[in-house]
Amino acid sequence: MPIVDLKNVTFEYIRRDNEGNVDGITTAVDGVSLKVSPGEFIAVLGANGSGKSTLAKHINALLFPTEGAVFVDGMNTADEDKLLDIRSTAGMIFQNPDDQIIGQIVEEDVAFGPENLGVPSEEIRKRVYDSLDAVGMSEYGLRSPDRLSGGQKQRVSIASVIAMKPKCIIMDEPTAMIDPEGRREILETAHRLNKEEKITVILITHYMEEVVDADRVFVMDKGKVAMSGTPAEIFSRVSELQELRLTVPQATELAHRLKMAGVPIRDGILTGDELVSAIMKLWSAAR
Amino acid sequence: MLRDITIGQYYQTDSVMHRLDPRTKIVLTFVYILSLFVFENPAVYAVAALFLIIEIILSAIPLLYMVRGLKPVVFLLAFTVVVNLFFTGGQELVSFWIFRITIEGIKRSAYLMGRLIFLVLASNLMTLTTAPVSLTNALEYLMKPLKIFRVPVHEVAMMMSIALRFIPILVDETNKIMKAQIARGADFESGNIIKKTKSLIPVIIPLFVSAFRRANNLAQAMEARCYNGGEGRTRLNPLKYRRADIVAYVLLVIYAVLIVFMGCFLFRVIPIAV
Repeated sequence: MPIVDLKNVTFEYIRRDNEGNVDGITTAVDGVSLKVSPGEFIAVLGANGSGKSTLAKHINALLFPTEGAVFVDGMNTADEDKLLDIRSTAGMIFQNPDDQIIGQIVEEDVAFGPENLGVPSEEIRKRVYDSLDAVGMSEYGLRSPDRLSGGQKQRVSIASVIAMKPKCIIMDEPTAMIDPEGRREILETAHRLNKEEKITVILITHYMEEVVDADRVFVMDKGKVAMSGTPAEIFSRVSELQELRLTVPQATELAHRLKMAGVPIRDGILTGDELVSAIMKLWSAAR
Repeated sequence: MLRDITIGQYYQTDSVMHRLDPRTKIVLTFVYILSLFVFENPAVYAVAALFLIIEIILSAIPLLYMVRGLKPVVFLLAFTVVVNLFFTGGQELVSFWIFRITIEGIKRSAYLMGRLIFLVLASNLMTLTTAPVSLTNALEYLMKPLKIFRVPVHEVAMMMSIALRFIPILVDETNKIMKAQIARGADFESGNIIKKTKSLIPVIIPLFVSAFRRANNLAQAMEARCYNGGEGRTRLNPLKYRRADIVAYVLLVIYAVLIVFMGCFLFRVIPIAV
């Protein structure tokens, strides 16, 4: 059974002008169907306004589809009795770390989810420190979140979500407001949780570099899924990506340009290392 | 400008008073302040002073630090004393021009001064030994009985703790906005008070807009983490009374009995010789 199953999801909202009159209807998500299997690392790519964040909020039952249905671990998000189960099964991490930390002390913030679920105090303490351990933040348990760096705050947010023991975490542009060092920490944490704790990860982002290690990639444009496949498949279609206002990783772009210039280099190069070995291979073949 | 704002005035150290349950400290302070206002009698004040001194010693807070806490009320203190000293009618002691110092005046201003000093010291002692987080926590517990009157106790406590959490963030934001406005030529320093106040409008409006946006985001984050009101919530650190708290309550009862006894009976037995 898929952990997340989107069936032909459409989400429309009514635009209003300053006087509150109806200005028109915007279709933010337009007939998206996708299935995510347990344990997968999925990336959803898209430029600003492509509907990727709106889509993410459906999985956590923060938004409900105008048409179609969303199933999380077999539960329909339209079923109000299942709301808490759905939200604790599919945890959500938001863009701004400051706006999602509720506790005045790190351990209290991580405890917030389990407290809401009515977990006994002893068990909460264990979960809090297990989760902080999993993101490498256990020595910060008694600190104030204000004193942490952006990357550390975001890792606390991840710990806060895994303290609810979710099967799946949705990360809605978790690195958008973070410096490069913090960005690396967050992605490493996400991949480790995926491999070690077998948590399904759905990463929403507009940074292409971040999707290189994903199992599958969906590219969204104007509310629709424009492309889907493995990162290598997606990145071999450089010109299509550029049409969708997405910047490809530097190595991929260089390979693409070499190919356009007539160098017989292979498609789907994602990293600098791959590019170097491909070029070396061509060079030794030419000698 | 607005740097280093500390909320509350928690004095971090380890002491008997620090380790007491925050609920105990709130009840303690409340009863103590009450006791200051019931009787006007030197014996009662002596006991109150002794109780406060023991508390301060147990709190391990330097005496000088405690005394400095009286600074904000010095003016109020002086005013009260002067007014009561010179304008209380009764048996005249000294007089010049329109001022008359009476025995009643001296007594009354002494009482009032003692009352005010003890009150400020006792409440400072509570906030110095208890972190704001624990205080909001304790208030939620203590106000629980009000639920039968439909007072939204949990919600109020949650609001207080979120407010505390966001004060440093909003202070940061205010600084950023002020700098951005200064960069565009805004002037917050010159002019009279009205001009200065007016110049703050371009700071306050963006601050409000951003506060609302943050509130919206936070609400969504809370919902995403299964927040569903106070019903059925458990706690990471549930408040638990320890032996020290029981001792504190017993001492408090002894204190209260002593005060009532002295206030009601002792005064008549040993009239104060004036």
